[in-house]
Amino acid sequence: MYVLLTKAYYLLQEVEPISEEGAEESGAALLLPAAEELIAGIIAFSIVFFFVWKWGIPVLNTALEARQQAINSQLEAAEAAKVEAESLLADYERQVANAKAEATQIVEDARGAADEVKTGIVERAEAEAEQIKERAQDELLAERERVAGELRRQVADLSLDVAERVVGLSLDDESQRELVDRYIDELGGVS
Amino acid sequence: MEQLILASEECDLVENSVCAPADVAELFEFRTPIFEILGFPITRTVVVIFLTAAVVIGLLFFGLRKKAVQPGKFQTAMEGLIGFIRDEVAVGIIGPDGIRYFPYLLSLFLFILVANAFEVMPFINFPVTSRMAIPLFLALLTYVIFIAAGLRRQGFRYIGDILWPPGVPVALKPLVGIIEFFSIFFVRPFSLAVRLFANLVAGHVMLSILLVTGLVSFLTIGEIGLIKSAFGIAWWLLGLAIYMFEVIVILLQAYIFTLLSAVYIETSLHPQH
Repeated sequence: MYVLLTKAYYLLQEVEPISEEGAEESGAALLLPAAEELIAGIIAFSIVFFFVWKWGIPVLNTALEARQQAINSQLEAAEAAKVEAESLLADYERQVANAKAEATQIVEDARGAADEVKTGIVERAEAEAEQIKERAQDELLAERERVAGELRRQVADLSLDVAERVVGLSLDDESQRELVDRYIDELGGVS
Repeated sequence: MEQLILASEECDLVENSVCAPADVAELFEFRTPIFEILGFPITRTVVVIFLTAAVVIGLLFFGLRKKAVQPGKFQTAMEGLIGFIRDEVAVGIIGPDGIRYFPYLLSLFLFILVANAFEVMPFINFPVTSRMAIPLFLALLTYVIFIAAGLRRQGFRYIGDILWPPGVPVALKPLVGIIEFFSIFFVRPFSLAVRLFANLVAGHVMLSILLVTGLVSFLTIGEIGLIKSAFGIAWWLLGLAIYMFEVIVILLQAYIFTLLSAVYIETSLHPQH
């Protein structure tokens, strides 16, 4: 808006001192290039273009390549550090795993040993109990034998006494004993 | 500076309400030679044109010479700008074969950027891109390059391809051909040149008139009365705002010119689009 106003004002002013022809000429003249400016522009732009082309672009490319290389080497260093750290981590993890396995092994060994001890104790106790039982049975059998023998002998003696008294004559001791034994055996066979 | 002093001496705010030259050409035409080299007139504009080349080369030289692996701030900024032109404009618009045109596009962008930047540079305050010679030359250069690129890539089939995009009905071919012919071979270079030229002319006119009016009304505050002084200072503040706006225009116009050059080269290389 302001531009328009200014222009309008300016045009009004202009009409007075300068003839219309003059105004048109000067306005149109602005659209035509001045020879010395055109030549200067061509030379100046050519200088800029050749500078950019021959110096700027190669320098830019080398700078970018150098930076690229620097970045690449840094990336490689970082990669190497990462690999090292990973191997260290793996080492530590392996060590920890080993330690854990070892601990488990120790606990299992201890548990196995305890089990063995327990089983041993139980077995020994059972065997002892068995032995005691067997000994008791043997003693019992022996006692029974002894009592049976004693009984047999007393029965024989009593029988002899009774027979002597009944028969009145005495048989010799040996033959008497045979007789009684035979009798008892017969009794035993019947019973 | 010279401009400001000249303008302020001639300006009479007692009679006028802004300081505007009688002829707009006074803001742009500096044809009086300062000196001559072998009969070639070195005018103020010519000096600024060569100064543009010197500044571009200086920027590139100080931005790139160190080749430091860890760049400083300035080097990073320059590399960012250059990388932007390469990746977003040369390769981004044209494609992988755009890297061939990267030196041209980079020169174009930096040259126009610096030439534009003189619009807001203290003590120079004059964009050489507001002189038709520069935009016209650069637009014609782009024109020659994109036509040469098309002819080299496709031979004379390029002309047919570019005049009749695929899928145009036969009945429309004459009409489309005429329209495309004018659009590509006349309007393109002309619009490219005039877009840059007109933006910088407008910016320079606004900044000159507003800032000089502000300055003169401030210097002659007793003579012109309170109301006119207040207006003058308002114009000056508006001029400052437009100054900031022009900084954006400077960057944008350099970018647009470069971008459109890349787009034109791209349409020559890949006509199917």
